Amino acid sequence: MDNFFIEGSKQTPEISFNAELGELEIKGRSIPENTFDFFNPVLLWLEEYAKSPAKKTIVKVNLEYFNTSSSKYILEILKRVKNVMNDGHDVLVEWYYEEDDEEMMETGEDYEDVSGLPFSLISVEED
Amino acid sequence: MAKQSIYQREVDFLQNAKDFMAKGEYSQEELQLEAKNLIENYEELVSQVKIITKISDRLQKKLNKTNDKLELTNNQLNETNIKLNETIDALTEAKIGRKAGTIVMIVAIGLFILSEAWIEPIIDNHFPNSEYPFVGLALKLVVAILIKPGEDLTNRYMLRKARKQQIEEARLQRNNKK
Repeated sequence: MDNFFIEGSKQTPEISFNAELGELEIKGRSIPENTFDFFNPVLLWLEEYAKSPAKKTIVKVNLEYFNTSSSKYILEILKRVKNVMNDGHDVLVEWYYEEDDEEMMETGEDYEDVSGLPFSLISVEED
Repeated sequence: MAKQSIYQREVDFLQNAKDFMAKGEYSQEELQLEAKNLIENYEELVSQVKIITKISDRLQKKLNKTNDKLELTNNQLNETNIKLNETIDALTEAKIGRKAGTIVMIVAIGLFILSEAWIEPIIDNHFPNSEYPFVGLALKLVVAILIKPGEDLTNRYMLRKARKQQIEEARLQRNNKK
């Protein structure tokens, strides 16, 4: 399966999915003008990945800020990752947040609660 | 092609339920199944809306905090800018003051030399018997008295010129940025 990569911009996050390693990384800022156009290919790739996932899937989320519609798509991504877990594969979500970013940490906790996925909340130093 | 929505899945479920009801004919079992699907999807939707609203509000709070920080930094930057401009003005004034003082002093020295070398002999020729012994002295006194106002005038003129130049430079910088 081909890997998936979208370069980040001021409005969109960098998305880097490696099917072989089972590493899915989203980082940056997510405020795209058209969230459907941006995230739909991501969801389609994940649906394909879920058919034959790696032994262990690690989802790394390192977002500085995202808008409301992106929050819905993050939920959709996590739902697809949950399907991978439900099929008996190991899954871990690493949720990165800057050390003084209380809001992003709490958002990670909310996603952990609602998705039912194992989360690791990781504090990182500010740039 | 209809524009895809982020709630496309939910819209599709709703449309299916509407189509089912519009059929008019259905068994009790079909109705129960449809109601079950609808309830499940509605439950899922409510749960999503709750979490998305919560996250959205929280991120709005983060945005507000960032805006507050930005405003504070902007104000600090403006204050620093004002202080910097004041310092630049003071430095310019001091520099111009020194320059004006030097110019006036050179002119005054020139006038004294002129007075000694050229005007004094003329006065001596016209008034040989020293009828007016203080004429030469008075002339030098006038030059000495005029030093300070002369320096102030020169200073003001040079400052005006420097400010005009600063305004022109700022205007050119703004135009270049555009």
